[in-house]
Amino acid sequence: MKKRILLTALALMLALSVFGCAKTTVTEEATAEPAETAEPVVMEQTATEVPETTDTPSPEDLLGITILYEQDDAMINNYSLLAVDENAPFVDADGKSVDDVALNTVGAKALIDWMLGDEATELIKNYGYDEYGEYLFYTKEDKPVATAEIPQATDETKTIRLSTTTSVNDSGLMDYLLPVFESEYGYNVEVSSAGTGKAIAAAKMGNADLILVHSKSQEDVFVSDGFAKVLEGYDSERLTFMYNYFVLVGPKDDPAQCAEASDVKDAFKRIADGKYPFVSRGDLSGTHTKEISLWPEELGITTEASSVADYSEWYMYSNAGMGVCLTMANEMDAYILSDKATFLTFRANGGIAG
Amino acid sequence: MTGAFQKAFDLLFSGDAQLWNIVSVTMRMTLTSSIAALLLGAPLGVLYAATRFPGRKILIVINRTLMGLPPVVCGLLCYMLFSGVGPLRELKLLFTVTGMIIAQVILITPIAAGSMETYLSAIVGEIRESARGLRLSGGKTLLLMLNESKYALVSTYLFGFARAMAEVGAVSMVGGAIAYKTNVMTTAIMMYTNRGDFTLGLALGLLLLLISLIVNVFAHLLQRRRA
Repeated sequence: MKKRILLTALALMLALSVFGCAKTTVTEEATAEPAETAEPVVMEQTATEVPETTDTPSPEDLLGITILYEQDDAMINNYSLLAVDENAPFVDADGKSVDDVALNTVGAKALIDWMLGDEATELIKNYGYDEYGEYLFYTKEDKPVATAEIPQATDETKTIRLSTTTSVNDSGLMDYLLPVFESEYGYNVEVSSAGTGKAIAAAKMGNADLILVHSKSQEDVFVSDGFAKVLEGYDSERLTFMYNYFVLVGPKDDPAQCAEASDVKDAFKRIADGKYPFVSRGDLSGTHTKEISLWPEELGITTEASSVADYSEWYMYSNAGMGVCLTMANEMDAYILSDKATFLTFRANGGIAG
Repeated sequence: MTGAFQKAFDLLFSGDAQLWNIVSVTMRMTLTSSIAALLLGAPLGVLYAATRFPGRKILIVINRTLMGLPPVVCGLLCYMLFSGVGPLRELKLLFTVTGMIIAQVILITPIAAGSMETYLSAIVGEIRESARGLRLSGGKTLLLMLNESKYALVSTYLFGFARAMAEVGAVSMVGGAIAYKTNVMTTAIMMYTNRGDFTLGLALGLLLLLISLIVNVFAHLLQRRRA
């Protein structure tokens, strides 16, 4: 009896694999010679199954949401690097001070020097243009300039812990930049990505050597609490070096008519007035902090979930990453604030970020 | 849904380096933590079931409570312990596979102990009687007991293995899901889901199930032969 169940299970797996392979072959044949077998119905099926071929709907058309409002000065999205100070006032869970937190400050400085140097600047500028037809990040004209020579990694300085935001990681920028740095200088950068709030919290617990985040208000608190360090050769803890724009994304038919808004605050007011569904990150990320600054003040929306309890019929406090929130907005025909890089990659991949 | 099946197979045969790294980290972590938890938990289970000592009942109740420890709480606890400001910071275990294994051992050991205790307490009376009849010594009685519970040992191990492999709360907190280092199958599924790539997430999930199936088939054959 048991043997029979076992055999059935194996047979099922086998059937699945055959099914999988068979499906691949069918589509391959279909793409190889579509003209000869061409009944119109078959053609249509191949078109939906193999989106790579020509005359298929572009990924853009598959999405129900699009950029409705952008390029407003209020929507600028600045990214900064901050090195964590090894002498910062670290405290443990009981509030007792800890003075022997192990940080790799040499490695953090090497990575920052490289990120602010000419090579990385050039790479960042061009990132994504070939794939998405638009620049995803811009480097700041007045960014701090690195002058120091970057040391090769040693056994002690090899591992660099970078705590960064989902928008930087999900846009694929880190996967694109870091291998260049790593192979050139022998470092190994361990990237953990979370919303800016969590990324900063991890650094405060001594679990990151540097952070790359995008929320000025939260960065300022981090600096004034004494956790960041002015590196040699720079004159500030907060090294703002690149930017892009936040964009207001929403359903293509734009029921709130945000596209005609006079400025971004007007656009948000239209959404609130009409109670159109809106997806909020709700995770203390830089995008979340930016979003709450754009609502009409009388609504009293803050980063606290309790502040939006009265608006729960249209305001979705989701506590999730950018990709998940974009998927939610797409499913629900909702409005959403996104950084442009993540949205462009999401759109180009037909609903997948990164 | 069929897209996910196809993607799973494409992935399986693509020889993608990152995928194989994820699979190998997953296997290293799962096998180590489940075996360690069995080695710690099974003797504990025997202790609970077959011996009498003061405080035994309290220990059993505590053990049963720990069987329900939410993985994310265990992960949080380990994160705080291993953190740069935590009491065990010298060990440098945060964001390492060893740290993840420790968190999982904390999670699974009570499950292994509880499972052995449940099985043994039902048969311990009979074994005692036959041991008394045969005039066996204490040590030999213990051996007899272990011999009687081979089948349960394999099941207990599989419990632990399944828990270790399927668990995401603890490993994502302690491991940080760092690519090529601590990213395991469950955290990778979370990552792809977070990016909105549900199909790839599901494809990885199917691979996870496939690995689990293979392990279970082997265990089943082993169990049949021994039972």
